[in-house]
Amino acid sequence: MASLSLKNIYKRYPGGVTAVSDFNLEIKDKEFIILVGPSGCGKSTTLRMIAGLEEISDGELHIGDRLVNTVAPKDRDIAMVFQNYALYPHMTVFDNMAFGLKLRKTPKDQIKRRVEEAARILDIAHLLDRKPKALSGGQRQRVALGRAIVREPKVFLLDEPLSNLDAKLRAQMRTEISKLHQKLGTTFIYVTHDQVEAMTMGDRIVVMKDGLIQQVNTPQYLYDKPCNMFVAGFIGSPQMNFIDSKLLKEGDTFYVEFGTEATKTKREIKFRIPLPASKNADGALDAYVGKEVIMGIRPEDVHDEPRLLEQYKDCIVPAKVEVTELMGAETFLYLDVNTFSFTARVEPTSTARPGDENVSIALSNDKIHLFDKDTEQTICN
Amino acid sequence: MSNRLFQGVVHQMRDAIDRTIGVIDETASIIACSDLGRVGELSTAVTADSFTETDTFISGDYTFKPFGSHPHAEYILFVSGTDEQAAKYASLLSVSLSSIKQYYDEKYDRGNFVKNIILDNILPGDIYLKARELHFNNDVSRVVLLIRISNRTDISTFDVVQNLFPDKTKDFVINISENDIALVKEVRSNIDSAHLEKLARSIVDTLGSEFYTPATVGIGTVVEGIKDLARSFKEAQVALEVGKVFDTEKTICSYDNLGIARLIYQLPTTLCEMFLREVFKKSSIDSLDQETLFTIQRFFENNLNVSETSRRLFVHRNTLVYRLEKIKRLTGLDLREFDDAIVFKVALMVKKYLQANPVKY
Repeated sequence: MASLSLKNIYKRYPGGVTAVSDFNLEIKDKEFIILVGPSGCGKSTTLRMIAGLEEISDGELHIGDRLVNTVAPKDRDIAMVFQNYALYPHMTVFDNMAFGLKLRKTPKDQIKRRVEEAARILDIAHLLDRKPKALSGGQRQRVALGRAIVREPKVFLLDEPLSNLDAKLRAQMRTEISKLHQKLGTTFIYVTHDQVEAMTMGDRIVVMKDGLIQQVNTPQYLYDKPCNMFVAGFIGSPQMNFIDSKLLKEGDTFYVEFGTEATKTKREIKFRIPLPASKNADGALDAYVGKEVIMGIRPEDVHDEPRLLEQYKDCIVPAKVEVTELMGAETFLYLDVNTFSFTARVEPTSTARPGDENVSIALSNDKIHLFDKDTEQTICN
Repeated sequence: MSNRLFQGVVHQMRDAIDRTIGVIDETASIIACSDLGRVGELSTAVTADSFTETDTFISGDYTFKPFGSHPHAEYILFVSGTDEQAAKYASLLSVSLSSIKQYYDEKYDRGNFVKNIILDNILPGDIYLKARELHFNNDVSRVVLLIRISNRTDISTFDVVQNLFPDKTKDFVINISENDIALVKEVRSNIDSAHLEKLARSIVDTLGSEFYTPATVGIGTVVEGIKDLARSFKEAQVALEVGKVFDTEKTICSYDNLGIARLIYQLPTTLCEMFLREVFKKSSIDSLDQETLFTIQRFFENNLNVSETSRRLFVHRNTLVYRLEKIKRLTGLDLREFDDAIVFKVALMVKKYLQANPVKY
């Protein structure tokens, strides 16, 4: 049983820096959980507290049923893989994986069994006699994983283990680590700042910022229903478009309005997008009528395809195409809508070209998110 | 060097012992033998596991006895024959070779030489003489990293670091104290601090992930010539000490990146106390409670921006303004003013320095 329970965990350094505040999380046995956030958000510190490499200033950490706040790292039944792993250059792969066990005086037959088993799982059995300099980046990474596997821990802690690999290898290793989790059937806690890794690997994602948990849920839920602007902007690539707007109501219909005010030389230009009634199902919009809000819309909900222009004909705005990026299966359009920047993810068959003016784009109004301008919390998703 | 040393002893023993005797190193090569034709041969009788044996053992027609310095054997002595006499010869010879090797290492060991340099245990004039004697390259760039173990574990950290940097001709791992290990590493002359920090990170991460040993690393500057190694070592010590006071959350502190802490660390404590009395004329810095100090910290982190700080602290803007006014009332310093803010920031660092009372190098 390797469930983890983190209750009101704090990390305060003697100098006054608070790296983690009131961290509460229940991790189920065999779950693959991802801690994600920008640099300095406290995700690595949290992992190091779980590992026992950092003292917990306040709160309780349970592994299984055991309170482990004061338990030595080696007695917590965990194994760690960090970003800057180093292999012993003069040792073979076998010895690299066995070295930790040897120093802990593990019996030789057990060392052999564990190393061979780990090598089989990682598909590196044929490399056991090689030295690190004869391995590729991906193979070295597997050896680093192997050193953790041979300990047969209940919980794996991985701190940005793929950051040193190139993009292609990283994509490949993402799959490998997911497979490894399934094969081993143990709890994985994985720290990354890469939202692609977070979205593709974890059962649940913990989004952190400034030492605080912002939201915990499945990748799809976070994508569809972010609780604030930070989560909305952090999850998804290209990131969500955020537009300063105003919420209006005419009759029973709510509108979100954005544009520019009139000046001496320019006339006022405003765009109004009607919101479907479902957006106010819980009445959250009523308190914001006439107030400034932030509209969020994901790039895939901004369209230039004729079929969708027809479908969202009440939500069309004119745009100037500034840059296009053909990605193969899709095209990114970087648009200027009356000084507001939009990114659109459209079909690769799109005819939009850089410099095109007055291109009609439609916003899927059922996919619009609204955020409080002051608190940045979500008003509706 | 060991090969010639062992060959000399084995050669002298040849006439006294009517057996074939020899020495095998960690790569299983015969490095010395009474039968000269066998020097350089690979021995099939020993494996990596043989070096973990502590007693004599028999394989084929030979008796073997591992020996070498602590913690594990580096060499295996062999004597032809499997009888009791062969075991006795093996035991006696291994004691003799161990002692000779130890004496030789003490006299000619480069590690000891480097240790004496960084700890200032050798006269400056002797450094170059000894370096020439040991064929020690003086024309390369080196850096000293000081690794400090926070919690003692049952794993030998020295062994781990030694195995991470096994090239004993270029890198020297030296035990300084119970908790401190120095790594003197040969580097490219134009290496940048980011690379050195990455190197230090790999040590910290390996010790943490593989052996559950929390460690911090201080990095000195890159120096040319062996005499300046002592300076690089002192810088690494200062970096660790300054980091312990001002950057408690960091595990790697580079002497190149100490910032304003470098200046404060050099100040005499009497001067610091005078400065604090001057700044906090109205009342002492101790009159500020933890919440107020936390507010100030966040205010600095958010570039003196009231709106942003109040949002991060989850308090109303007016609450923050009230707290700032209170600080002004107590200290006479308005943190919204840049000049007052910088004085307060330095005062907080000075206070931290006085409280920590770090070791001066």
